[in-house]
Amino acid sequence: MLFNSIEFLFFFPIVTVLFFILPHRFRWQLLLGASCFFYMFFKPEYILILAATIVVDYFAGILIDEAPTEKLKKKYLLISLVANIGVLAVFKYFNFINNNVTGLAYVFGFHNPIPALNMLLPIGLSFHTFQAMSYTLEISRGNYKAEKHFGIYALYVMFYPQLVAGPIERPQNIIYQFYEEKKFYYDCVMSGLRLMLWGFLKKIVIADNLTTYTDGVFNNLHTQTSIAIVISIFFFAFQIFCDFSAYTDIARGAARVMGYELIKNFNYPFRSRSVTEFWRRWHMSLTSWFNDYLFTPLVIKNRRSISFGIIFALMITFSLSGLWHGAAWTYVSFGVMHGFATSYEFITKKWRSRLSKKINPFIYNHISQLLTFLFACFTWIFFRANTMDDAFYIVSRIPGIFNEINHWSITRSKPIFDESMSNLGHIYCFMFIIVLEGIHYLDNHYQIFHLVLKQNKFIRWTVYYSMMLIIIFFASATSHRFIYFQF
Amino acid sequence: MDKKEILIKINEIFKNILDNEALTIYENTIASDVEDWDSLNHIQIIVAIEKTFKIRFTTNEIHHFKNVGELLVAIESKLA
Repeated sequence: MLFNSIEFLFFFPIVTVLFFILPHRFRWQLLLGASCFFYMFFKPEYILILAATIVVDYFAGILIDEAPTEKLKKKYLLISLVANIGVLAVFKYFNFINNNVTGLAYVFGFHNPIPALNMLLPIGLSFHTFQAMSYTLEISRGNYKAEKHFGIYALYVMFYPQLVAGPIERPQNIIYQFYEEKKFYYDCVMSGLRLMLWGFLKKIVIADNLTTYTDGVFNNLHTQTSIAIVISIFFFAFQIFCDFSAYTDIARGAARVMGYELIKNFNYPFRSRSVTEFWRRWHMSLTSWFNDYLFTPLVIKNRRSISFGIIFALMITFSLSGLWHGAAWTYVSFGVMHGFATSYEFITKKWRSRLSKKINPFIYNHISQLLTFLFACFTWIFFRANTMDDAFYIVSRIPGIFNEINHWSITRSKPIFDESMSNLGHIYCFMFIIVLEGIHYLDNHYQIFHLVLKQNKFIRWTVYYSMMLIIIFFASATSHRFIYFQF
Repeated sequence: MDKKEILIKINEIFKNILDNEALTIYENTIASDVEDWDSLNHIQIIVAIEKTFKIRFTTNEIHHFKNVGELLVAIESKLA
């Protein structure tokens, strides 16, 4: 079920009302049942995959916890990791690997007899397998005791707000909350609903309208002007931010209404002054997952030569992080570029620190912020492009923008922007980005979201109704799926 | 070498790795108290400590240091 669907409009209030009506002891069953229903809306039979990994990880958790030796702990952990990565390998990466083997075999004059698997990718697979792995990994490190209640463990993996697109939770943060008897608190419910409303506005108004433009450009590259292509690159940056952060806001809001607090996933990523900082602010739950379970162990293992160890770990971590997003070379390229950037920042850290002391901080910080944003936009070309050829074609068209501006009279004689959107649509898209960044600026400097809360009831509700009206009037004519659903 | 001497030595290591000459750490100092003490710098600090004191921490120890005090205890016990 999509958050921005009619079904969710009924599902959410029904589940929430039932949650508060039912006594505490029945609530985990309600949430688990509702989460199964939510997941089965996509492709019902795929719940069996989820069920199988839940059973494996539940027993693996107990066995790891009770294992008398480290060797045995590692063995049970390996079973859990193989089960989860195995599911990912079969459903997400098999065809990618097989296609590359076929291509390589063709180059050397061989034929690959293994056929491609014809099946849909289970929704949110990368999210719930990573969440499940963090459970057994935390137990094996002695940071968490195995959960004995099977239903509560199943709910940890399946809790519907964050089941298909995160945030990727840790057992320490969420499982204890399922045991707490949640009461109806008006302020808590309102806080959750506010977060959901802000999420819906970002998704339905900003992200979906920008998608109409960017889809038109990225899917018909050869008919576009360079100006249209460059604008779509910048639009995509705001589209992906609004789309994914909206999902997180709706997920956190839906959970908060019932009294559950999910971890933060975004912290104004476009304010980052380095790529390293960007990853501390963007998709934070995934970054911390890779940091704790892959990057840090790799560095520890290769610490005899610390600089090499860190660069090696950065390249491996970011390449796999790219691959986590999707089984295509475009995503791998996205990750590799971030690996190079963070490695460069690691190598030049002291030099940059000295440089920053010689330059006016206002200028240095803003230039750093701009360069980081431009780098992120550049890498998102590869993230969004349909193929690697498309990505290189887009890059090759970027310099053309100077030529088009220099010969403006010729450029303006033809349609400049993609024709899949009206001129008014283009103006709205620019307006939405300016308003969004304005709100972010005001919230950063004057905490306007908190200021609204301190106002009297009349002003608060005027703001809420205005947001609803904005959603109604400016909603995109086409509803688009959340980008991160496919991962 | 007593705790005080170890603390002075690792304070120098922290200053060097975090590029902060004014930094002073205490036994109860935790990562969030110190700017730039992130996971990347944490491992560099650990490696520098291992080299300076000619000791070796286990992976488990590196994951579980909660503050400077725990780090000091571990160094002291390995030097003993």
